[in-house]
Amino acid sequence: MAEYRLDCLGEACPVPLLKTQKEMEKLKVGDVLIVEIDHSCAMKNVPEWARNMGYNVEIEEVDDGQWEVYIEKTK
Amino acid sequence: MKLQEHPFFKKIIKDAWSYWTGAILLAVLNVALFAFSGHPWGITTPFSYWGAWVFKALGGQPENWVYFQNPSHAKALEQNIFTNAGSIQNIGIILGALLATLLASQFKIKKIKSYKQVIAAVLGGLLMGYGARIAFGCNIGAYFSGIASMSLHGWVWAAFALIGAWIGSKLLVKYFM
Repeated sequence: MAEYRLDCLGEACPVPLLKTQKEMEKLKVGDVLIVEIDHSCAMKNVPEWARNMGYNVEIEEVDDGQWEVYIEKTK
Repeated sequence: MKLQEHPFFKKIIKDAWSYWTGAILLAVLNVALFAFSGHPWGITTPFSYWGAWVFKALGGQPENWVYFQNPSHAKALEQNIFTNAGSIQNIGIILGALLATLLASQFKIKKIKSYKQVIAAVLGGLLMGYGARIAFGCNIGAYFSGIASMSLHGWVWAAFALIGAWIGSKLLVKYFM
């Protein structure tokens, strides 16, 4: 049940999504990845991809134009 | 209930609109612009005027360039940033984008993460600007407005944009991952 962080601040699409996909591969089932994003279009494609994979996703707006996407690897 | 928590505020101001909503609005607005002004929407041509006006103000003579022998470009040289229609539209895009991000409270000055981003942004900007000139338009003027005008050039543009995007994505994975 480990928690990992992925710093994608200052990174534009599609880099956050590609990095998230790569990082999720390394996680074990039950682990959580927190992706830090400040690019609004990554706010669309990162959660969308994770939900399509069947992972649990939660989004928190931590600051103006800055978000943390919690992705739990469920399988 | 606070305004920020109202479902309509969230849907219209805060969240991104769907691709469908955007596509329909773009199509309707482009038709309206064409009906009123006689020109479909374009973005980069007025930018070439911005550059030429600056160059002219500094004492250059862009009126001698081949590009400005074209009558509509030559006419634009006599105008300025607030009298050229395309130029006003571009100011509208910048102000509109700023307004949208401020209303959604998502305005943020982003940090530059690495020198690679600077190189990529400068190189990418130069390539896009140069490409838009030799292709007689960008993804709006040549592609979007071209296809909407039933012109073949928009489709040719699309085919080459696909090739470019494929090469670009390979470079992106190579240098940014």
